[in-house]
Amino acid sequence: MTDDNSQSPGLRLLREPLVHFVLAALAVFAAWSFTSALREDADRTIHVTQSDLERFAALYAAESGALPGDADMLAIVNDYVRDEALAREARRLGLDAGDTIVTRRLAQKMTFMVSDLKEDSEPDEKTLRAWYDAHPDRFTEPQKITFTQVYFSEDVRGANAVADAQAALGALANGSDWRQTGDPFMLQRAYGDLPVREIARLFGVEFARALADMPASESWQGPVRSALGVHLVNISQNTPAQLTPFDEARAAVTADWRDETRRSENEAAIREIVGRYKVEIEGVDAN
Amino acid sequence: MLNRTTALAAILLLASCGKPAATPDGESADSGAPPAGAQTAGYNPDRNAYFGDLHIHTRSSFDAYIFNVRRTADDAYRFAQGETIQHPSGFDMTIAGGPLDFYAVTDHSEYLGILPAMNTPGTALSELPRAKDMFSTEPEKIQAAFQGVGASVRSGEPISEMYDLDTINSVWAQNIAAADKYYQPGKFTTFAAYEFTSVTSETPEGGFGGGNLHRNVFFKGAAPFKAFSTLDSTNPEDLWDWMDAQRANGMEVLSIPHNSNVSDGQMFRLETYNGEPLDAAYAEQRMRNEPLVEVTQVKGTSETHPDLSPNDEWANFEIYEELLGSHAVSAVQGSYVREAYRNGLKLQEDEGFDPFHFGLIASSDSHVAGGAYSEADFWSKVGIIDGTPVARGSVPFPGSTGWDDQPDNLIVENATHWFSRWSAAGLTGVWAEENTREAIFDAFRRKETFATTGPRMKVRFFGGFGFDEGMLNSADLAHTAYEDGIPMGGDLIGSGAAPSFIVWAQRDPNAGTLQRVQVVKVTSDGEEVIDVACDNGTPDPSTRRCTDNGASVDMATCTPANQGAGELKVLWTDPDFDAARRATYYVRVLENPSCRWSTWEAMRNGTPPRPDVPTTIQERAYTSPIWYIPGN
Repeated sequence: MTDDNSQSPGLRLLREPLVHFVLAALAVFAAWSFTSALREDADRTIHVTQSDLERFAALYAAESGALPGDADMLAIVNDYVRDEALAREARRLGLDAGDTIVTRRLAQKMTFMVSDLKEDSEPDEKTLRAWYDAHPDRFTEPQKITFTQVYFSEDVRGANAVADAQAALGALANGSDWRQTGDPFMLQRAYGDLPVREIARLFGVEFARALADMPASESWQGPVRSALGVHLVNISQNTPAQLTPFDEARAAVTADWRDETRRSENEAAIREIVGRYKVEIEGVDAN
Repeated sequence: MLNRTTALAAILLLASCGKPAATPDGESADSGAPPAGAQTAGYNPDRNAYFGDLHIHTRSSFDAYIFNVRRTADDAYRFAQGETIQHPSGFDMTIAGGPLDFYAVTDHSEYLGILPAMNTPGTALSELPRAKDMFSTEPEKIQAAFQGVGASVRSGEPISEMYDLDTINSVWAQNIAAADKYYQPGKFTTFAAYEFTSVTSETPEGGFGGGNLHRNVFFKGAAPFKAFSTLDSTNPEDLWDWMDAQRANGMEVLSIPHNSNVSDGQMFRLETYNGEPLDAAYAEQRMRNEPLVEVTQVKGTSETHPDLSPNDEWANFEIYEELLGSHAVSAVQGSYVREAYRNGLKLQEDEGFDPFHFGLIASSDSHVAGGAYSEADFWSKVGIIDGTPVARGSVPFPGSTGWDDQPDNLIVENATHWFSRWSAAGLTGVWAEENTREAIFDAFRRKETFATTGPRMKVRFFGGFGFDEGMLNSADLAHTAYEDGIPMGGDLIGSGAAPSFIVWAQRDPNAGTLQRVQVVKVTSDGEEVIDVACDNGTPDPSTRRCTDNGASVDMATCTPANQGAGELKVLWTDPDFDAARRATYYVRVLENPSCRWSTWEAMRNGTPPRPDVPTTIQERAYTSPIWYIPGN
């Protein structure tokens, strides 16, 4: 047999994923080397060797109990390159050290520094309006329905539930008391301004969809089927989803803008640092 | 099935915020005193069912961080409200069934936040040799460093250089702050909470293996600046002393033990922690501090065991018996709830006190900040070591030809002993007037709680002496039952007459349908499981069983082959009632069978389901009991 026998079963299995990974990596790292084409000196090149790749894969397998796929390997190398770039940048700023632990710590320290460098900016009106316009879904009140329902249990009435409900529809139109109509129901008989998502949670999706499409009316409507049985409904209000006016949403817009901006500026600053380095992966020709 | 799931997802995405529902129907009523303060929208004097998870870990737990969990308490509370967060293995997690009503992060108080600090450059903790080992790339060093921490948690002897109370207390303060930040009265409730991680063991050497005496500690409102941990004392009775002191200080608190199934017979042992006989003072202190028990979670179900309940055809449900971090099998006696109810009655009859007069809840114990409540969308609970179907043994190991040909390696061994035998997460249901800390905590106190194995089925359970059949068809059923009887969790004091019980179960509208509802009756010398309502017809009075409703699952698609009931409701009287004898009654609701998570994963992988675990399960709910107590 080959000398593969001297290795752990894990390492033998690693061979093939690595081949796939090397192919997949081409696309990603080509972009990096483009931005760093002018920086060819050794300090500005991050080498990822075949043995690095095997070490990453073995560590992943040991921690996760499964072999890394292409996407996993790509993420691991991405993290490695990012950590290495940030660590070198930290060393350039005056810190120094050598092994994996220190590299990882330096990278984290650098991440914190980058975060700290980015003070919270105060967005102007125009920025906020643009943010609001670009993300209407985040500042929209969902569709809400105010309704009363009476319930006809199929577990009690069997196949008669629908016919019983239809008969009750006529009685309700003639002034019967809805509180004394139908079967006892474990949930409430009346709900105010209930978001459609909540209706789905309480009655099931089918019922929520049906109500979402029904108009408000003084008349009882139905029968409508739910996961629990058959219902008649009286919808007094069906308020479509509506965009909260900018002035009312201002605080939420500011908070949302600040969260996202901070996150993306931080990522951009780190990307800029990583971009100062050229990446070479053994077995991958990125040039 | 797929269409249905997609449709649900679409609806759930429709809305991300909005005000809670108001109820124009709200006739005034006097069942139960309303909590202090203004009522929130949705307030219902006859109480609503709310669902939540009371057992969640994040990166601040030592055993989560080592398995690559990096999500925070903030992430956990966002997840519970429907936002998507990432699993340490890289995939997205979104809560099954829509947002929860309440949620509590319960990180281990031992070395709370210490591992993250050890992995943060610039901290003194990161300079420790143990930190270097813990975050090295050598599995042996990582394991040795981690086992050392586990051994310290178990022994209660702190590793002095790691026991940095400034860090621990500040991370505890952060967890309290996160709970406060995400609490929205009327919409989403959180609690300041943590896990006390006591483990017994006879083996002196390192590691974490042993009898599980863990309990989660919950504060109703304000919480103290320091959380009592095993590094203060490993004895739960010392925890209760500390909780009594917090309560005397105005901070209401309770604790909920879990995984009695792997307590090695210690959780409901008929002796104190130090081996002394139980007495009335012990029972009183235990019940003052521990009114509830977590009966089911990812690491198995603690209701009962086939050896204890040979006549219960449903007792063999998600039984998990290996002690924490070990392959030793837990002792059965002293580890299960139903037996504890029986022993409690026996103690009460013989000695006049009952230390096991508790109600039931369920949770996930997720260590990845979000629980996997649906069999169809499962991610187990630990982190990177059980984050894939291979790692948890639902599909054969790569390169093998099938289940008969599994290689002999650590991954397969762990999956066989541990992860393949774990379950999808449970949920706690409570009946409360509104979704606030006060109303939900008060429901914990009066034990008006029920436990489910994941689906959000709802169960009402009332006992009383004036109930009649007519109530079942009355629109005011719940209201009348509160007025004329007591709900789950209560004591029913005898009057000489036989009580009757209203049992009312409703399916989760977004999960399976119901097959049957059972009453489990426990006395000091026995137990009986009695079917009281069936999907098809009424129970046979001689066997006290429903006839088989023929429910099955299409194993090619995991689709249920037939519909069960949407709701089941019955007025029930105990045919063997003895007015002079104490009896404990609780309700168990069974869904029709559905695919177990391991079957879903095998189906998606195109491989046969693992042969040594069940392919289908019957999801279920357990209520807190009603205790019948003879008058005078």
